[in-house]
Amino acid sequence: MPHSVSNGRGLPLLAAIAVALLFSAPLLIGLGGTMAPAFGFMPELAPGNGFAQLLDDPRFIPALKLTIKTGTIATLLVLLLTILALVCLNRTRWWRWMLAALPPLLAIPHAAFAVGLVFLVAPSGWIVRLFSPWLTSWERPPADWVVPDAGGWSLIAGLVMKEAPFLLLAAAAQLPRLNVDALLKIGLTLGYSPARCWSRLILPSLYPRIRLTLFVILAFNLSVVDMALLLGPGNPPTLSVLLLSYVNEPGFRAAASAGALILAVGMAIFFFAVMLVERFIAIVANRRRESGHRGHGSGLFRQVGKYSVVAITLCSVLTLIALLLWSFTQRWRFPSALPDSWTMRHWLGRSDLLLDPLWATTLFATFCCIATLIAAVVWLEAERLGAVKKIDWLWYVPLFIPQITLLFGWQAASLITATDGLWLTVAYAHWVYTLPYVVLILAVAWRELDPNWNNAASVLGAGYWKVLFRIRLPLLIKPVLQAMAVAVAVSVAQYLPTALLGAGRHNTLAIEVVTSFGGVDRRVIATLAVLQSLLPLIVFSLALLIPAVIQKKQQQHS
Amino acid sequence: MTLFPQILRKCLLACALFIPTQLLHAASIDDSWEDVLEEAKGQTVYFNAWGGSDRINAYLEWVGKRLESEYGVTLNHVKIGDIAEVVGQLEAAKAVGRDTDGNVDLMWVNGENFAALKRNKLLFGSFANVLPNTAFVKQAPSVTHDFSVPVEGLESPWGGAQLVFIYDSANTKTPPQSATELLSFIKEGGRFSYPAPPAFHGTTMIKQLLSELTEDAAALAKPVEEADFDAVTKPLWAYLDEMNPLLWGKGKSWSTSGEHTRQLLDDGEVDIAISFNPNEATAAVKSGQLADTVRTYAFSEGTIGNTHFVTIPYNAKASAGAMVAANFLVSPEAQARKADPEYWGDPTVLDIDAVPEDMRAKFTDIDLGVWALPLGSGKTLSEPHASWAQALEAAWIERYGQ
Repeated sequence: MPHSVSNGRGLPLLAAIAVALLFSAPLLIGLGGTMAPAFGFMPELAPGNGFAQLLDDPRFIPALKLTIKTGTIATLLVLLLTILALVCLNRTRWWRWMLAALPPLLAIPHAAFAVGLVFLVAPSGWIVRLFSPWLTSWERPPADWVVPDAGGWSLIAGLVMKEAPFLLLAAAAQLPRLNVDALLKIGLTLGYSPARCWSRLILPSLYPRIRLTLFVILAFNLSVVDMALLLGPGNPPTLSVLLLSYVNEPGFRAAASAGALILAVGMAIFFFAVMLVERFIAIVANRRRESGHRGHGSGLFRQVGKYSVVAITLCSVLTLIALLLWSFTQRWRFPSALPDSWTMRHWLGRSDLLLDPLWATTLFATFCCIATLIAAVVWLEAERLGAVKKIDWLWYVPLFIPQITLLFGWQAASLITATDGLWLTVAYAHWVYTLPYVVLILAVAWRELDPNWNNAASVLGAGYWKVLFRIRLPLLIKPVLQAMAVAVAVSVAQYLPTALLGAGRHNTLAIEVVTSFGGVDRRVIATLAVLQSLLPLIVFSLALLIPAVIQKKQQQHS
Repeated sequence: MTLFPQILRKCLLACALFIPTQLLHAASIDDSWEDVLEEAKGQTVYFNAWGGSDRINAYLEWVGKRLESEYGVTLNHVKIGDIAEVVGQLEAAKAVGRDTDGNVDLMWVNGENFAALKRNKLLFGSFANVLPNTAFVKQAPSVTHDFSVPVEGLESPWGGAQLVFIYDSANTKTPPQSATELLSFIKEGGRFSYPAPPAFHGTTMIKQLLSELTEDAAALAKPVEEADFDAVTKPLWAYLDEMNPLLWGKGKSWSTSGEHTRQLLDDGEVDIAISFNPNEATAAVKSGQLADTVRTYAFSEGTIGNTHFVTIPYNAKASAGAMVAANFLVSPEAQARKADPEYWGDPTVLDIDAVPEDMRAKFTDIDLGVWALPLGSGKTLSEPHASWAQALEAAWIERYGQ
């Protein structure tokens, strides 16, 4: 009887436990499968002492240093850029324009973006081409720098340009709740400069609300693989990339696992250090606030801040345009500002090259989109019915443990159980990495929805399923579609789970873009990258359009 | 009854469908060729091969179509970055006892990777000896000995390769003809980059330089353990110490592959690109990736050349299908298409005089173009013993890779 469901808690509890188990099992297996070889418990698969092997490699320490450098600087710049954007752009005419540009930038897969960035900033890249030779007098590309550079600055630039929109969007979403306009008015009336209003009044209450997002970004920056492969230095590479090369090297799995553990533990220490710094800053900030200094508003500072944010956003947009141009290029030699000759060949000539990975990508994305939605609804419904408690920390776990740390172990387990290379194994991993975003996005709306809708419908005699499908889900259509779009975007961007668990048999667009880089025809990679970016852009547009269309129809009816 | 248990059950059923249930019977080398053909029908062959060139990938698509229509064999190209990864996977598979039903049926291999597979007994057997099309293969020294390691039919030759250089004749009038000239060229402002070892174009370049610079060239033909490594390689490191800081990336950033250097050549960031395919420039010019003023050459005293092979791992699931695929790859039809720069431009391993008369024109009619290495212009030097590659790579990384 459907009606019994709404009263009983047994079934929702069981279903929710199933979701939680499906979600946490690979996390445990992954951690176990990484720890066991690191400590010598899998001598067949991973002979030798992993930690000793690791310390023996002259690249280990430099790789670790490089990782800390790129991860820290990139995260600091993300924070700085977000604050600059808030202080200098909010309440200007640029602000709306900026907010409109952010979601598409966020939706672009990291790998595709990285490919475009190389085209943009290389000595023979688009920026130099645009200004040569008429301004620079360079007839040939300058030899002063190369991309990727040995210092990791290309990687830092890529991470900042990709992650800053994430933090800024999270911050922008919090502004209405903070009543920023009122705070600013109070601050200004009290004689504070606008920048001081932000630093003394608004940021202290904003920061705790975006802190978790900032930590997710820090974790990502310290452990990223695909972007580091494309934009990071090669000798030595970042730690994750070095460890990835171990996994594929005979006899080095123990070292790979040991390194993956060091990365995870190192990250935990890092978080701890950041928390200490936060404390320190809070103390200093409190003292300064108490001092009551009003300060002079620096118009120059605001202008510089504004234009640097706009310039960086413009670079991101140029990156995408560069990709698009290359995908239609026949010849484009230095220093031409635009392609010398055009062609449709890369899009139409070799359909198999695009369609096969497009199909593989779409299948995983569709599966993720549906399966995560079901799982998230199951969990949130159980939560609403009181069958399970809120455990939001659980969903953050895969976002805070480096992907390689989980996936090395998962791969070891899949080798032993002969499940590597199966479609379902890869799809499962995509599901695990997508679910956190879907649950966290849906949870906000799910918990806020007025329970009176439910009660009213139940009073009118509607059963549980009818209420769910006819009342709750339609009322929540916007966040549901947004969550589905995010699911698609996250799945489309997954490189490492597909690479490590897929045994090379599932050539998604992410895999094609990363593995073809440096080898395959630049125009073909650009085409693949454009295609990889189009998928999330399309679903995000749909997620915006569909509710609007439905609303219009309903208005016409009434 | 509610929906959830039903959905769960259906999900479980769907899961079960993805798990392989039966082991395929593996072919044996003693089977007659007819039996092999029969057994191969309906099999899916996972061919692990470098996937970094869309032209090679397209060629393999064609091979797949032909195998499907002619023999009922489905070819699945598993694109990988470095075949050493697959050697590692096979070692891992052997370690956990996955001795049948392996993930790899056929793999593209040569040199140190073949040596490692042979040493660790990860190979299927002397299957190449029973392939009918082996009769057309030219039994050159590099075909019978892969980097000095006896082949013994454990792998089947697929194509020839030689280290060559591509330059733009519109910018560079007299390209360097030897290791020594290359260094002076760079000192005079010439732009150059070699991929960082262990990228194989980089390793090959290092071997080329070593073979020219060392005072003990004879040591290279023997296993590295038998040589005084430091003494043999001393001139190489002195040379690289001088050259590396003057390269693209100043010896701190490195190109990642031969194809990368070709892209850099077209961008004007370097003057000379490295290739292992004498006909690559022709293909690149025709597809719009290089200017039509480029030319290909080898050093005047010759450059390193070798043969690349395909082989079947010991735990292959579709070994019969893999044998049929390997046999097709050395057929005159497949070899002629592969040799044509229109498709790939990889030199054939066949003896043109041995192939059926009606097929010979397919080889002799190929137009290599002015961009390719002129026929007969580059002497081929043999590869050092397989063991040198790893030793050189490790030494290079220790010196320059950190």
